[in-house]
Amino acid sequence: MINLTEATLVVILLSVLLSLGSTRLMALVQIMALQGVMVSLTPLLLKHNEAFSSGAIIFYQVMILIKGILIPGLLYLAVKRVAIKREIEPFVGYHASILVGLGLILVSVFITNNLRLSLASGNDIVLITAITTMASGLFLMMARRKAITQVIGYLMLENGIYLIGTALTNHTHTIYVVEFGVLLDVLVGVMIMGIILHNISRAFDDVDTTLLGRLKD
Amino acid sequence: METYLSLAIAILAAPLFPGIILKVKAFFAGKKGPPLLIKYYILAKLLRKGSVYSTSTSFVFQLGPIVSFATALIVLLFFPLAGANPLLSFHGDVIVLFYLLGIGRFFTVVAALDTASPFEGMGAAREVFFSCIAEITVFAVLVVFYRLTGSLSFAEYFSGDNSISLMSDKGALLLLVIVSMFMVLLTENSRVPVDDPATHLELTMIHEVMILDHSGPDLALIELGAFYKLFFYSSFIANLIYPLSSLSGFSSWALFLGLLVLVYAAIGLTESIMARFKMNLVPQFILTSFALVFFASILTMGVFQ
Amino acid sequence: MIELVFLLPLVAGLAALALPSGMSRILLLCTALLHLQLTVMSWMGKLTPAFPQFFSASPEGLLILLVTSFIFVCISIYAFSYIEETEVENKPVFNCCMMLFLGTMSMVTLSDHPIVLWIAIEATTLVSAPLIFSHRSTEALEATWKYILICSVGIALALLGCFFITLAMELGNIDAPLTFNSLNTVAAQLDPVWLKAGFIFVVIGFGTKMGLAPMHTWLPDAHSQAPSPASALLSGALLNCAFLGIYKMDVLMNVAGLGEFSGNVLVGFGLLSMIVGAIFIIGQPDYKRMLAYSSIKNMGVIAFGVGIGGFAMYGAFLHLIHHSLIKSSLFLSAGNILLGFGTKKVQRIGGIINSLPKTFVSFFAGFVGISGLPPFGLFISEVIIIIGAFQSKRYISASLFLFGLTLVFAGAGRVFMSMSFGESVEKVQVGEKMLRLIAPYALLLASLTLCVWMPDAIYTAINQAIATIGGTIHG
Repeated sequence: MINLTEATLVVILLSVLLSLGSTRLMALVQIMALQGVMVSLTPLLLKHNEAFSSGAIIFYQVMILIKGILIPGLLYLAVKRVAIKREIEPFVGYHASILVGLGLILVSVFITNNLRLSLASGNDIVLITAITTMASGLFLMMARRKAITQVIGYLMLENGIYLIGTALTNHTHTIYVVEFGVLLDVLVGVMIMGIILHNISRAFDDVDTTLLGRLKD
Repeated sequence: METYLSLAIAILAAPLFPGIILKVKAFFAGKKGPPLLIKYYILAKLLRKGSVYSTSTSFVFQLGPIVSFATALIVLLFFPLAGANPLLSFHGDVIVLFYLLGIGRFFTVVAALDTASPFEGMGAAREVFFSCIAEITVFAVLVVFYRLTGSLSFAEYFSGDNSISLMSDKGALLLLVIVSMFMVLLTENSRVPVDDPATHLELTMIHEVMILDHSGPDLALIELGAFYKLFFYSSFIANLIYPLSSLSGFSSWALFLGLLVLVYAAIGLTESIMARFKMNLVPQFILTSFALVFFASILTMGVFQ
Repeated sequence: MIELVFLLPLVAGLAALALPSGMSRILLLCTALLHLQLTVMSWMGKLTPAFPQFFSASPEGLLILLVTSFIFVCISIYAFSYIEETEVENKPVFNCCMMLFLGTMSMVTLSDHPIVLWIAIEATTLVSAPLIFSHRSTEALEATWKYILICSVGIALALLGCFFITLAMELGNIDAPLTFNSLNTVAAQLDPVWLKAGFIFVVIGFGTKMGLAPMHTWLPDAHSQAPSPASALLSGALLNCAFLGIYKMDVLMNVAGLGEFSGNVLVGFGLLSMIVGAIFIIGQPDYKRMLAYSSIKNMGVIAFGVGIGGFAMYGAFLHLIHHSLIKSSLFLSAGNILLGFGTKKVQRIGGIINSLPKTFVSFFAGFVGISGLPPFGLFISEVIIIIGAFQSKRYISASLFLFGLTLVFAGAGRVFMSMSFGESVEKVQVGEKMLRLIAPYALLLASLTLCVWMPDAIYTAINQAIATIGGTIHG
């Protein structure tokens, strides 16, 4: 039968790549919702042999709720509010972004192969996915002008970190470490609220001085 | 026997499936839509008519439809439909087949250029450009398959005991391949969002504009060739989703047809919910499909060794 | 119940939301004084942690807590008058955020658990963002946005660093509670590769918050756009708290026998920050931005000192204390000037010596202090760091360090001279006020006093903080 863990991770990779290439903000939000659900499902699939305590199960359900519904919902509102449909004039073009994505996965495979000695087996693909997601998120933050796309990039970075946490730690005594990644979602929420409340549409822009771009040396 | 039977069914049933696309689109538009057998009616109507040839065209123009139909048909001969052994097979046939499809396209393009119509030249240029890029994806897919099975023949990919599919142990990777093959399918068969088969403006057409000057039986051959090509790509994806060779006889055919309907419905769905891209976005779309396969091929080297 | 130190301001901050602006001002002042009281009590060892698995009173934490608390008292006196005279919108929210900010920073200083430390630092970002946005202008919005976005990335990377540390524990088969104290006792068993990776990410993450170059880009914007009391707090207290996170990791690295690696990383970041800060100070047209870049440079000095180790580490801690005092005093003086002239442009301001004579005294004394001239403390600390660098035979680093100091002196000197003695374009609109002058004077005086006479308690605290990793207070 199909290996659910791997399928989930491949879907995450797929969403990362699609997000690098998508021009429409709405599509981007939908992709992030998918990615959020998949990311929060991963720990459940990874540790299918372990018995979950009821607290952990509730926690993962909350994660799905936050990453899959709440944050994308807020993003959806923000996109509606700011009334931008697509990202024009990104710092790095879409073709180049996709190529960068390819480069990132190459690098993360390389890194993972070098780290293999000190890792529990079977977690390789999780680590590859995680590093790719994280690096792509960082790249997206740098390569796009719109405030909202930067927040999406941050969300991706955060998903990647969460994945790394689940891949690396075995939940022996560290059960309350990885889970605190959820607090990063608070930051995301605050940023989106900022966008919604203050109508920030562009950030770090050199061209349009009336918008965010006045402070520099 | 099974081989001949499946081939016959495929050849006869291929024009049925585009009807499903139309039905799905009609459903989304809130219409009743044309009957399922509409494509058969059209073919019958076209075959009854005569052909008109412009005096400025040469034999190349008449050759185009025949070659494109023939190549599409040959490809089906090599393809293991519903897990049955294909009629013909040899080592390396996948490469030959994809280039046979290329030859078919070449003759369509040459025929279009032969008419000396500016619109047709434009369509031909676009067609060649896009399928050039799509070829990268196709060959990246073949690289992945080669890494997974070590062979270069459809028969070994999709029939026999260790056929590749989503359900095999390295199957998760094929998720990427399926998505990108679907994107290639849309590109190669001139579907939305790359091309719109229903458009009425020559300027915006890609494939349709090239066959504007064909009529009667010639047009029927081209259409039929297109149906076979679409059928080939769809069965490709259907085989990737489930290993049909593990089943036998009737059940494999039932599942195969079911999956085909699924793929065609997905095409219809895509056409219903998406608008076609601006021309400059199409290369990016195809590039994305390549990137997905490239991801898969990196993963075959890094992890799934 | 040492947790009271941060619970008190948190509760008081939330209460301030419900009060009218006049009442919340008074509450701010009372909280500041009570907090100082609690801090002194915890110095005397009267308070014990109720949750020792999360919180403990480490000497370095207490040191930073004391500095923070003292600065906050001065700033709250200043803010008492300042926010009445400026158009800070929604004053209760401002007061509330000031107190919450104090609470979260105190939490940073007391936390012993890496994740609790991380949460506290994240919380400082969240509660200080409204302070930066107080003026509700487009520029303030941009500064706040940059602050949140850049610091969030830093915070996220720091969390990754924490993951790596736990991984290093797992690979070393250590079954100890996850606190810095217990980690230090078992440090030798930690997996060195992952510990190094964790350290790098923590330095990048908290270094963003601390303002180390090249992750410093939010800092000048935030410091120049925030109202002056908030800028003083950001520069004098928040940066130290972020430094504390890095320092605790550095201690862990040293105990684990990777001190050379962590030291070199810190020296590299430190020198880079010094040079970047110095370059941007030269020709800076905005005096609040100049002060912000000076903070970057001084954070570089501290990182450099800690990275060198030994005697220089003592210098780094002295530098931390004196920089906080002098820099917050300078930001408060700058606030007086901004209030008086209504502009942040250096070119439009001149002749402070005549128009705002009392502010001139604190402003110019602050300049003398921040440039590392005697009689202020930064002179001593910088000399100690240089001696330390020579003792450990890092001649190239030491000469770069000196070069950076000279650049800063030249750049800052130009700004201060032209503002103090040059021709003024603008007229003074708001005069000086006693409440707004006490604070900068008090802070400078504190720095001066600490040079002449350092209480034994502080002396031993620094010694305890640095002795575990080979630091010494005897050159």
